[in-house]
Amino acid sequence: MVIFSISSFSSNWDHITETVLVTYSMNTVALVLGTIFFTLLFGVSSAWVVASYKFPGYKIFKWLLVLPLSIPTYIAAYAYFDILDVFNPFLIWVRSAIGFEAMQLTNNLLVYLLTALVMSSVLYPYVYLLARASFESQGSHFINVARSLGHSGRAVFWKIVLPLSRPAIVAGITLVAMETLSDYGAVKHFGVQTFTYGIFRTWLGMGDLTSALRLAVILMIFTLGILFIEKRIRAQSRFSYKSATSSFEKIKVGGKKSIFPLVVCSIPVVFGFMIPFFRMISWAWFSKNYIAEISVFQLASNTLLVAIIVSVSTVLLSILLGFSSKYFKSKIIYTSNRLASLGYSTPGAVIAMGALILVGYLSDTFNILLSGTLFLLFFAYIVRFLAVAYQPIESGFEKNCEDLNNASKTLGSSPMRSLYKLNLPLIKNTIIAAGLLVFVDATKELPLTLILRPFNFETLATATFDLSNQAQIIESSIPSLFIIFMTLIPIIYLNSRIGEER
Amino acid sequence: MNSILSVSNLSKTYNNIYALNSLSFECNKGEIVSVVGSSGSGKSTLLKLIAGLEIPDNGKIVLKDKPINDESIFVKPEKRDCDIVFQDFSLFPNMTVDENIYFGKNAPNNKSMVGNLVSLANISDTLSRYPHQISGGQQQRVALVRALANNPSLLLMDEPLSHLDSALKEKVRSELLSILKKLDMTVLIVTHDAEDALTISDKTIVLNQGRLEQVDTPRNIYKYPKSEYVARLFGKTNILPLKLMPGSKHSFKQKSSDNKMVSVRPHQLIIESGTNSSLPKIKGQITNIFNNGHSYNVEAKCEDLVFMAEIKNGSDLKIGETVTFSIELD
Amino acid sequence: MFKKFTEKTGIEINIVKGSADQLIQRLISEGENSPADILLTVDAGRLYRAKEVGLLQPIRSRMLYRNIPSSLRDPDNEWFALTVRARVIVYSKERVSQDDLSTYEDLASSKWKGRIAVRSSSNIYNQSLMASLIEANGKKKALDWAKAVRLNMARAPRGSDRDQARAVAAGIADIAIMNTYYIGKLASSSDPKDREVVKKVAIFFPNQKNRGTHINISGAGVTKSAKNKENAIKFLEFLSSAESQDVFGSINFEYPVKIANNKSDLLKSWGSFKSDKLNLSILGKRNSDAVKLFDKAGWE
Repeated sequence: MVIFSISSFSSNWDHITETVLVTYSMNTVALVLGTIFFTLLFGVSSAWVVASYKFPGYKIFKWLLVLPLSIPTYIAAYAYFDILDVFNPFLIWVRSAIGFEAMQLTNNLLVYLLTALVMSSVLYPYVYLLARASFESQGSHFINVARSLGHSGRAVFWKIVLPLSRPAIVAGITLVAMETLSDYGAVKHFGVQTFTYGIFRTWLGMGDLTSALRLAVILMIFTLGILFIEKRIRAQSRFSYKSATSSFEKIKVGGKKSIFPLVVCSIPVVFGFMIPFFRMISWAWFSKNYIAEISVFQLASNTLLVAIIVSVSTVLLSILLGFSSKYFKSKIIYTSNRLASLGYSTPGAVIAMGALILVGYLSDTFNILLSGTLFLLFFAYIVRFLAVAYQPIESGFEKNCEDLNNASKTLGSSPMRSLYKLNLPLIKNTIIAAGLLVFVDATKELPLTLILRPFNFETLATATFDLSNQAQIIESSIPSLFIIFMTLIPIIYLNSRIGEER
Repeated sequence: MNSILSVSNLSKTYNNIYALNSLSFECNKGEIVSVVGSSGSGKSTLLKLIAGLEIPDNGKIVLKDKPINDESIFVKPEKRDCDIVFQDFSLFPNMTVDENIYFGKNAPNNKSMVGNLVSLANISDTLSRYPHQISGGQQQRVALVRALANNPSLLLMDEPLSHLDSALKEKVRSELLSILKKLDMTVLIVTHDAEDALTISDKTIVLNQGRLEQVDTPRNIYKYPKSEYVARLFGKTNILPLKLMPGSKHSFKQKSSDNKMVSVRPHQLIIESGTNSSLPKIKGQITNIFNNGHSYNVEAKCEDLVFMAEIKNGSDLKIGETVTFSIELD
Repeated sequence: MFKKFTEKTGIEINIVKGSADQLIQRLISEGENSPADILLTVDAGRLYRAKEVGLLQPIRSRMLYRNIPSSLRDPDNEWFALTVRARVIVYSKERVSQDDLSTYEDLASSKWKGRIAVRSSSNIYNQSLMASLIEANGKKKALDWAKAVRLNMARAPRGSDRDQARAVAAGIADIAIMNTYYIGKLASSSDPKDREVVKKVAIFFPNQKNRGTHINISGAGVTKSAKNKENAIKFLEFLSSAESQDVFGSINFEYPVKIANNKSDLLKSWGSFKSDKLNLSILGKRNSDAVKLFDKAGWE
């Protein structure tokens, strides 16, 4: 893809580098940083409160806090489509009190701020889940020792708890950054011109595939940069420690003292889930006559079809790859693992562009038409989501099956028999969880589907996008709600499984 | 007497079950006091209450003449003049040994004292390393130095030796004792291991289901337990009826039968060559013999009483033989 | 409308909805195998692009030629306008006098500093307006215009045309550049807030004293790969007939291709206007220039 994009000639490219490239870069960086900031704020604070306090309803909040995962960023943007209008009176006041430049500045800041806020309100669970697990695995001895050594609870949090959880939090932030880079719907709606926005504008608006590809390559470099930074930060944390033997003791709070944890947990739940969800419900009620017109059940069955085929095939592929790498201990397979995991960090738009190039090449060489087929769409999905299934399945094999496979080998069992009789039953739950993770991601996916969907093939995600793009945001709540419901069930199941394992 | 810690009527319940029930005791300056009990006896709760990590339901704790807990006062853990060492040492993995030692609020003000501690504990080579890079024994000493560097009036230790393997344990135990004694430190050690209590402490408190069972020197507790629970906690023993040995200095009522009983350790049962000593006797048929290298552990039965004797010259003994054992009282 | 056609002719219509740019991309990749007979979309710029990449074919139909003015169809008759919309200035009744408004060019004047609301340059309606300005005034003047208008904007461009009207009603901006039918959609919205917006604003048709107001179309062409060419032509003829043209205004608030024949009361209430007679294929021809000038002007 890199080779293709550099060798192709494009008259628009000079124009893009001269004019909008800097804007795209700056907007992308600003949005990623802003989103990281707010996800940290929401994710870490709620994780800390849930991990360390027993307040009324803490068990409910433990899973309520995960629910925003069911809402993709573009749906969050539509649910808050008019959030900028709320600030109109304030802007007018700024203009009359300070001046017009101040209003423009405030308005620009508001756009970034609110876009970042809206994105983080549904992305923070990545940070929340990883931070919570990390806090709980620390046990309470570190905190108790630090306090008995004369440090206040707050100082202990900053000096001990947070540094120890840094690797986990950084991993969460990286996921958030990837999602932000990948997003198309929300940035389009709020008019923040990021790279993904630029790719769509250049390709569809200017009809210039080559320049779009080059933008995709730059976006890929951004992504690799973030992965590199993550690796560096994690390498700096030179410490290692086993999960504590002591459990993480929760402090019981009630009465007035429970207000603080309640507020900290309610804010993300209310803004990340309750408000979007109930707004959509009421909009869907308003526009219920529309249900037939957009044939939402057809959309839902399309989405279901894609999500199921993709999750089943990624899981099967992961089992095959994971088992053979563990069983035969092959180096080549190890490398393919690294490569596969890159797929998930690659923004959907970039993968879609890559798939188009590949297809163009294939059709030139072998004269077969793949573009615009479901096959191509599935292929791209699998490239994107393989890592989601592969990583848990591989570590499942590693944790549970290594010794058993050796035993099975010495007992003269064939590889297939070992896999079927021994490994699969052992990691059955892991496989189900991996499949569900892919299912959730595939159901929510937008940019890749937008580019590669075959003619006349709509998913819930593309229908949501198209409707809101035609300023029919109220009506778009119908497919949106279907997406939310479809992802909600697996998410609740997955979250309860995390609880059981502890 | 110079009291450092005074606990009176301390109670704590979890879900309406007493973890501690009206506990009272004192620790004096320079004393090493061990708290012994089986799991669930409330010993860890006691430590947390003194450190301020839990709030008691009732009772009073006074540390160096300053009440830190009573009906109206709760001093936060960071304001209490005591430090805690946990069994897993809880060295902060993100800090070097040096940073760990100087983490305590008071440590940076006592550089020369901390320097002495470091050389006393023989950990000067490890200062620039991270906790996971040093040995278990070193980690133990670093944790100790970290707590002592904060210059507390009272040191709390939670199972300080249970994390170490048995070979290391004895060495560390003697090092620990010598450091603490040199500093004249007042220490409260919680342990489930009677051997630790016997070898380290000046005074031992035995807890049973949240209640104080016995307080005495460890030697006396070993020899004169006040109950079957205490007797069994401090090593292998035979609970024999008092009527067999009326001269015994101690006895206790058995809970089930109300009979007065005496704890007789296996080594107190001997086989005499002569027959005319004045020691109390018990006849038993041998059911099992184990050679443990330096002596023979002999299991014998006398009617429905099963007991165990540790016999030095037991090579002639045979299973099924009936032998007369003499009981050596102090 | 589609139903009516089926009732009348017995010809079934299968509709594939999608965003216009993507439909075109899809038709390109489908090539010969495409099942589509007709491409129906908004904006002449897009139809021009479809023609340029060879998706459409020339059509010979007296009826279409008669019903549709030549400036509103492709010179080679590959696509035809079906309805017309004007890109107008919507202004606050409260804060702007109609006398202050004159032309698109005037929007660059410093008296509008901080008062204009308009959407992003990614939008084809703006690109087509820009193309018409390039055609009328030349590239350099068009660039200066875009730069000046960008500076005059009350806020960075974002949102849809409706949002621009909302901004004027809310007092963020005083005037907005937008398409006529959006006012119709707002006026008939189920949301009372939207109807409130319409009460606060009025429509002004610029450039009445010279070339006329910039208009654009929704239109259609028959695809090169069409398997049902005759039926496709029939359908276009049906849409261009007076019978169909008369009802467009009340359905989607657009003008019929013969603007003067407009029957909708709402549209009549905006007043009659003179439209720019530029052949709309020019808009397509100038499109890429327009996009580039926007980028140069910093109009996001």
